[in-house]
Amino acid sequence: MELRLAHFAAHRARLVILALLCCGAVASGAPVFEKDVRPILKAHCFHCHGEDGESKGGLDVRLQRFLLKGGKSGPALVAGKPAESHLLEVLKSGEMPKEKPKLSDAEIATIEQWILAGAPTLRSEPETLGPEHHFTQEERAWWSLQPIGNPAVPAKVDAKERNPIDAFVGAALSKNGMGFSPEADPATLIRRLTFDLTGLPPSPAAVDYFLARSALDKDAAYRELLETLLASPAYGERWGRHWLDVAGYADSDGFTEQDTERKHAWKYRDYVIAALNADKPFDDFVREQLAGDEIAAKEGLNANSPTAEGKRRYAELLTATGFLRMAPDGTATQNDLLARNTSITDTLKIVSNAFYGMTIHCAECHDHRYDPITQADFYELRAVFEPGFDPKNWRQPARRLVSLQTKEEKARADAIEAEAKKMDDARLAKEAEFIAEVLGKELEKRDEAIRADLRKAYETVAKERTPEQIALLKQHPSIQSLSAGSLYLYDSTYKTKHADTLKKMTDEAAVVRATKPKEEFVQAFAELPFKPEAIPATHLFFRGNPESPKEVVKPSDLSVLSSWRKTDLPEKVATLPTTGRRLALAETLTDGEHPLLARVMVNRVWMHHFGTGLVKTVADFGHLGEAPSHPELLDWLAAEFMEKGWGLKDLHRLIVTSHTWRQQSVRDAASDAIDPDNRFLSRQNKRRLEAETLRDALLAVSGKLNPKVSGEPVPVTLTEEGQVVIGVDTMDTAGRQTGKYIPLNGEEFRRSVYVQIRRSRPLEMFAAFDAPDMTNANCEIRPVTTVSPQSLLLMNNLGMREFAQHFGERLMSEGVDTAARIDLAWKLAYGRNPRPDEREAAMQFVTLQTAHYIVHPAKPERSVGPAETVEAPARHLGVAAMAHALMSANEFLYLD
Amino acid sequence: MHSRREFLEKSYGLGAIALATLMKEEGLLANPAISGANPQHFDTLPKPPHGFGRAKSMISMFMQGGPSHIDLFDPKPELNRLDGKDFPGEVKYDDAAGASREVMGSPWKFSKHGQSGMDFSELVPNMAGIADEITMIRSMHTGVNNHGQSINALINGSILTGRPTLGSWLTYGLGSENQNLPAFVALTDPRGLPVLGVDNFTNGWLPSVYQGTVIRPKEPRILNLDPPMSLKGDAQKRYLDFVDRLNRGHLDARPGETELEARIQSFELAARMQISAKEALEISQESEATLRMYGIDQKETEDFGTRCLIARRLVERGVRFVSVFTGNQTWDNHASITTGLPAACRYVDKPAAALVLDLKQRGLLDSTVVHWGGEMGRLPVIQNRAGAPRGDRKSVGRDHNTYGFSMWVAGGGFKGGYTHGATDEFGHHAVENVVNHYDYHATLLHLFGLDAETLTYKRNGTPQSLIQNDEAKIVSELLA
Repeated sequence: MELRLAHFAAHRARLVILALLCCGAVASGAPVFEKDVRPILKAHCFHCHGEDGESKGGLDVRLQRFLLKGGKSGPALVAGKPAESHLLEVLKSGEMPKEKPKLSDAEIATIEQWILAGAPTLRSEPETLGPEHHFTQEERAWWSLQPIGNPAVPAKVDAKERNPIDAFVGAALSKNGMGFSPEADPATLIRRLTFDLTGLPPSPAAVDYFLARSALDKDAAYRELLETLLASPAYGERWGRHWLDVAGYADSDGFTEQDTERKHAWKYRDYVIAALNADKPFDDFVREQLAGDEIAAKEGLNANSPTAEGKRRYAELLTATGFLRMAPDGTATQNDLLARNTSITDTLKIVSNAFYGMTIHCAECHDHRYDPITQADFYELRAVFEPGFDPKNWRQPARRLVSLQTKEEKARADAIEAEAKKMDDARLAKEAEFIAEVLGKELEKRDEAIRADLRKAYETVAKERTPEQIALLKQHPSIQSLSAGSLYLYDSTYKTKHADTLKKMTDEAAVVRATKPKEEFVQAFAELPFKPEAIPATHLFFRGNPESPKEVVKPSDLSVLSSWRKTDLPEKVATLPTTGRRLALAETLTDGEHPLLARVMVNRVWMHHFGTGLVKTVADFGHLGEAPSHPELLDWLAAEFMEKGWGLKDLHRLIVTSHTWRQQSVRDAASDAIDPDNRFLSRQNKRRLEAETLRDALLAVSGKLNPKVSGEPVPVTLTEEGQVVIGVDTMDTAGRQTGKYIPLNGEEFRRSVYVQIRRSRPLEMFAAFDAPDMTNANCEIRPVTTVSPQSLLLMNNLGMREFAQHFGERLMSEGVDTAARIDLAWKLAYGRNPRPDEREAAMQFVTLQTAHYIVHPAKPERSVGPAETVEAPARHLGVAAMAHALMSANEFLYLD
Repeated sequence: MHSRREFLEKSYGLGAIALATLMKEEGLLANPAISGANPQHFDTLPKPPHGFGRAKSMISMFMQGGPSHIDLFDPKPELNRLDGKDFPGEVKYDDAAGASREVMGSPWKFSKHGQSGMDFSELVPNMAGIADEITMIRSMHTGVNNHGQSINALINGSILTGRPTLGSWLTYGLGSENQNLPAFVALTDPRGLPVLGVDNFTNGWLPSVYQGTVIRPKEPRILNLDPPMSLKGDAQKRYLDFVDRLNRGHLDARPGETELEARIQSFELAARMQISAKEALEISQESEATLRMYGIDQKETEDFGTRCLIARRLVERGVRFVSVFTGNQTWDNHASITTGLPAACRYVDKPAAALVLDLKQRGLLDSTVVHWGGEMGRLPVIQNRAGAPRGDRKSVGRDHNTYGFSMWVAGGGFKGGYTHGATDEFGHHAVENVVNHYDYHATLLHLFGLDAETLTYKRNGTPQSLIQNDEAKIVSELLA
């Protein structure tokens, strides 16, 4: 929080300076209440002095006149006299805010100047503070809450400009005394574009083809490449991953220590990838994720829809709602109010991040400290989802799965189940027989005189035993404890194999059950139909505490928008079996006029193309976020995006064909001096590969990449050292590694987006390179760190060695001699030929390493499974050493 | 829900290796991008305790399986008197089939040692030799009669798996004094992991920089930190030189890219860390007398002795917490206790005692807590799964007992030559000055100068602590 406050203070200080420079209607340079002072008081003081009917010490600070009136300690301020103003005294001494950090010097100075200037307001203050006065005019005027404009495209200032994006960027550059960098060379462009759109490196053949085509017609070659990449299934895997960050996709529930697995979550991941590959319009994509179940009902679809297409569409719509089931959820094992409420709140955070780009979830406990979002707004948004969550009749994770089974499949399955049930009964009979047998043997060891009593005591139902019987059994613990559960323990005593026999019978029944037609489930957010009077009510929770429900609220979009658009949402749509609230919200968000959704999404897409968004804080378009670097471009893109039908591929085309995107990334000292962070885009940004892209590139370059799409996640497991690696979990029931190795038969080489995300077990390479583990619901924006554990992993990790060995093997088989292998290695890893000095250094390196391995033979390393027993040929190891170096160097990790 | 969940970035985690990450020097190089939220930063830089703490580091020798206290540290003449007869009261069994009421007196002789006159059986003569250095707690209690649950109670304060373990809490609270070595190290037994596997040194939901790093009994000794076999020595040096050459050539064409420079330097730092790790594990630097003292010259004690000596070398270099494990169920003598228990004792007795003496002679014992113990003790009656006739002791053993058992601690502010608490006359239940696992944890935190109410981590909106039981108390009698 300190960081935010500091940032806020700096922001305030800037405003003060601005005010000084601009001179408003009031006395020159003086701060005014609405613009300068109220935001400070709102952030630090409203909570106890004004909000929620709270006015400690009788003081309400929401209006200037309230301050003049003051509270129990008299007036809070005397206009024009800072020295006599109690407010300033308590702020300066740090007495207020109570038990909170003192206000910054800049904030206190603003208030002091304001008092000195006579405590001016911009306009006369309202008589009462009803809901209509929740927001000041200034708050309502916040940029991201205004209608999306349709700014005119600036005139061309630079011959390099290719499209309107360049016109906006070029105008800003020239205004700031900078210009565009030249376009990157074709070799750089194909590498950048291929990674950008597919998350994979270009193959040497693709590079050669593109360079040859570019020599003939640069633009045609580029367009052709672009279309090829957008049409590749790898596109959806790459861009789907970006969306999965926002959605908080994981294959486990999180929240509790058990972190139970989510067996069906992957279907949502596949939905996202397929939707992107099909270029599903983004507005449909949003509607389906928010209200797929309601759309299905509206279209009359269900699991028994007569046509195959109807069934497919029903499954797709239900799967899409998995979006609302992505948040951590501990209720599988801890089904209490706290766990339920946290899961709902986390879902709202995801919705807020993804579609609003605002921190609505910060208003859970109190009005938003900085943005015009009231606490009621948070609960009014919650009311949209309340009927689906139905917290009073909470469905635990297993109970919210929706079956896609048809009636015919069900009938077949029932018949098989009846068969298996008979086998179960036979096993139970056998078990009883075994217990009787062991009992007999145990009794034989006892005095004959007590056998009958003992048997009777044992056979009497526990609750009905007499005190004598209980005492008797206690004397004979090995009889007392005999049960189905402990039966196996007696096998060693009597040299029997009863446990095995019973297990075999269990297994046989399982074999029969396995012949059932597979019942497919989706993890859906499917609202149940309610009678109007039974629709779960949403209460505002006092200070966010679900145990303190206050007034009932109705579903609504953010109330601050009500001054220029409709925010009410229906409580119940008559034409739907469900409430229809989510569908109504989805339609509002995608109506083409909503100020946030399109802006937020084009900004996200921009971030993934440039490394930074036009608004750097992609999930915070509020006061604590950063202002857009190119506000008009953002609006133009958002408008264009909607007007052209919300097509993401169109948006990619627009962006990556711009000169702005195609610029080289080399720094220019002059521009660096003006704009060190490159916010004005006088060049492209250099970017490090994300964790998943790094692993995918290692797979691709080593020739191992398995392109299989969709399906159950590739499992992760723990090694004896506690490292999380790809592999089948073979731990025993006591949590020990058994050393048993189950080969994955190529599954281990699938793309990273298909690797299981167990929140408590992030894959080692992913965690090291900043992939989110989704313990915080979702990931708005990834950090990019440079720390030594990453270097150690690249140097020494056994999985990394495996990649190097695979790459080495590939070079050995595809290159005829060391020289050819060196050239091929550069082509594969970097998409270019080595320079002569590099070629020479590599030759020397391979020669020396090979010589080393002749003297010090070594076996190939394995990260999982049985150790290699045979030494590798020295020349293979020598080439693998080069492969390893190439894959750990910066040219592999960074894109130009 | 009263305050929002903190936004935690595990940006510096590295799975199992969990090294000290953002080093002071690296702080100058690294270039973490600013997240839109408010990423909280976690590291293992040294942090001051909340108050004065005598203890600076800890070595825990965890005897998984449950050493039989009544055969090692807690003599019960009454059992020898009743030997072969029925137990006169109620027994809390764990195993059904082998449950028996037949009392077994200890087959081993006890005698008193040191000026304090502490009791030890003949199975642990070397431990007897350090009687005046240790605190023997004879009234341990977890009350959960099952290995996994009782281990959890002792290492993470709850009976569930998945919470952070002691070493993670201490490194979270205090960091480490050496940024080139892992802050929390687990020395596992070459015979295999104990029950609960890697959860014995898990960070649970604490950031992964606080996970225990395994030092393996085979090469590479520390994964990621130690070069794999094929990169030993010159091979790796040439690799690093070559990578550096590639990176410098790459940087030359991209002037001013500080992040590329930072990565080059992080490779250099990584290489230095490797050297520190290698040096710490190099026991050949020790004198022959030291090696003998730990029993490294004898086959039976070579492994455990080596690991105890490495533990000392790590603590000497500023590592905060070291766990030394015995293998899976080494001490779980359900059967054949007459041969199993002496073998288990021979494996550890000499090295464990040597560790305490060695720390003392180097002046490290005052600041190092040494712990020796398992998750349970054993029952006073026999366990007889094989159906041996009464009085036949060859095949029988003893079942679990978490209601009263012994363990010892030394150094770091624990009182030497002191025996605390007592079990009943049969050694079944702790009856005097009972020390629950949470009392033990409260006492440990106190010795490290940590306040259990302050050492918290927010999870799901609630501050979580190692100690979850309101009854937990610092056992002041144990303190020097």
